[in-house]
Amino acid sequence: MTVEVTGLQPEGNGESHAESETPQNGLTGWIWRLPTVALAWRNLRRNRLRSGLAAVGIAIGIFTVVVLGVFGTVLQLSAADELGGIGNQVIISPADELEEESLATRDIQELERIASGRGDLVPLYSDNVVVDGSGESAAVQLYGTNTPGLLFDGADGELPVQHRDGAIVGPEVASQLDLQLGSPLDVAGEQYRVVDIAAAGEDITPVQPDNAVILPEREFSGEFDQAIIVADSPADATAVAEETDATLNVRVERVDIFELSDILETIDEFFTLLNRFLLGLGSVSLVVAGVSIFNLMLMSTNERRGEIGVMRAVGIHKPDVLKLLLVEATLLGLLGGVIGAFLSGVAVMALWAVSPIGLDVIFVPRNGAFLLGGILFGMFVALASGLYPAWKAASERPVEALRG
Amino acid sequence: MTTQNTPLEADAHGDTDSHSERPPAAELVTVTKQYEGAETVTALDAVDLSIARGEFVAVVGPSGSGKSTMLNLLGLLDVPTEGLVRLAGRDVTDLSEAALTDARRERIGFIFQDFHLLPTLTAVENVTLPTAFESGQSGDRAVTLLERVGLGDRLTHTPDELSGGQKQRVAIARSLINEPALLLADEPTGNLDRDTGTNILEEFARICDRGVGVVAVTHDELVTEYADRTVRIVDGRLRRGDRGGDGFAT
Repeated sequence: MTVEVTGLQPEGNGESHAESETPQNGLTGWIWRLPTVALAWRNLRRNRLRSGLAAVGIAIGIFTVVVLGVFGTVLQLSAADELGGIGNQVIISPADELEEESLATRDIQELERIASGRGDLVPLYSDNVVVDGSGESAAVQLYGTNTPGLLFDGADGELPVQHRDGAIVGPEVASQLDLQLGSPLDVAGEQYRVVDIAAAGEDITPVQPDNAVILPEREFSGEFDQAIIVADSPADATAVAEETDATLNVRVERVDIFELSDILETIDEFFTLLNRFLLGLGSVSLVVAGVSIFNLMLMSTNERRGEIGVMRAVGIHKPDVLKLLLVEATLLGLLGGVIGAFLSGVAVMALWAVSPIGLDVIFVPRNGAFLLGGILFGMFVALASGLYPAWKAASERPVEALRG
Repeated sequence: MTTQNTPLEADAHGDTDSHSERPPAAELVTVTKQYEGAETVTALDAVDLSIARGEFVAVVGPSGSGKSTMLNLLGLLDVPTEGLVRLAGRDVTDLSEAALTDARRERIGFIFQDFHLLPTLTAVENVTLPTAFESGQSGDRAVTLLERVGLGDRLTHTPDELSGGQKQRVAIARSLINEPALLLADEPTGNLDRDTGTNILEEFARICDRGVGVVAVTHDELVTEYADRTVRIVDGRLRRGDRGGDGFAT
């Protein structure tokens, strides 16, 4: 590039440099490729402490929102895990008003049909008896079923699919009577050997294994006392309960139907409400952060009135100035949002490290959405807070602004 | 960039002989500017002024006489209450705000007493500022202009690394980035020592040689020595006896 240092060149000569190799990029770098972002970033860096504090305000707000949101999710999913079985069981027993104590065989057959494709039917004998073992006695719940594995877990894994001989005892009974595998057990005068020990019940259901002894069906006579349909999903449980009611309780109430999927829905609604409450709580801190950005932008644009006036005077349009100032505010939100989201991630992982919650309830899409949504929300709050100061500054007549 | 009205005349600035054949760089035609308030203040009263291409006009007068108002009207930063403003022969009195902004960027250069450089930008970035949000690259021209004003070795310096005179030269380069027809300077030597001021005024003379009309509002007699013509304003009127242009020439 040849440059005449003395005197002005014909103005048109400037054009000839446009295509040539010049220090253009080296000098101005990427600034003029993204002028709005570059200028905004430099303006923010000008008073790093002030910008940093405003970003920290947003970071705290985002941290609160994201952490509360994620914790809410973790709580909800953990509860759903704990209450998992609650919504899947439908318990059918003879209606109280019939004074019947057992279900008719045709009812069982009907239930078999209703459950088909939506879950498993477990007809159950039940009674209260006293059992003896190791010289001690205990009053226990007695169940009779050939398929205890569908209802309960074993202390050492799954219970056998088919239960043909011996007694399965619940953990409380085993502990109380000091029973082990192979121990003899006297159940209402009949001798059995303990063939398995059930695990403590985790699901919320009236049919609990803890203080129970489970014998094969053939040890009982007569009709089943109740039936449990273990549905594949809460929705199936609801459908099974409705169809059972529609089929068996047509003219008279022949069976009572106990089904908990409704409770699960209520619990879910509660957690949704709790989540919203927590998010609302977190949003308050974001509002505070928004006010600090509003204040920062007002101060900053007021201090730079002269500069903004010069920009307008030399031919930069009002929307460009507005955009520049809004990008400044949004960048603060982005910066704060990213810091806040990062800190939230650290906090959640710390919670995982010191508590029994599993990664399966942390790494879920909804928590990812909280993280990303938190950053976007931070940017939005900052943008909204910057609107008025930016509009005010960009709208000032350059002749007024230049008086600074 | 195209303006919404008839494009302002493109002037090559190179041919000083043709200055007289082309419309003036700027004209105020019977311009009055009043400010409404508790009582109406007349800052300019039926002022006629024509700035020829290549002419260096100094505007002097006591504080509050209307000098800055006149500069603002010529710079399309303000609109007259009455009268016409022409820029390169085109009536720009009633343009929209956006069109005025375009006209300022395309045809007017501003130089301020306290330079008004953006502190976050380097010298070359400050010079390209007027075109920063427009398509096309003006970095090369900025480099050329800075080299012309003797700042070829200060391209990447920020304003706080430059002296007052250097800052004013950056401001001059910025004012020339879009090949203006009219250059307006508000106390261009006000914050400079005499030697630096002289250098700046010599630069103005060179700019005039390129066919650019220069108007400098000043209290500095040095400026009037370099000016082709000095216009005196008192109480919003051009004083009779000064060579104020059309209708005022004596």
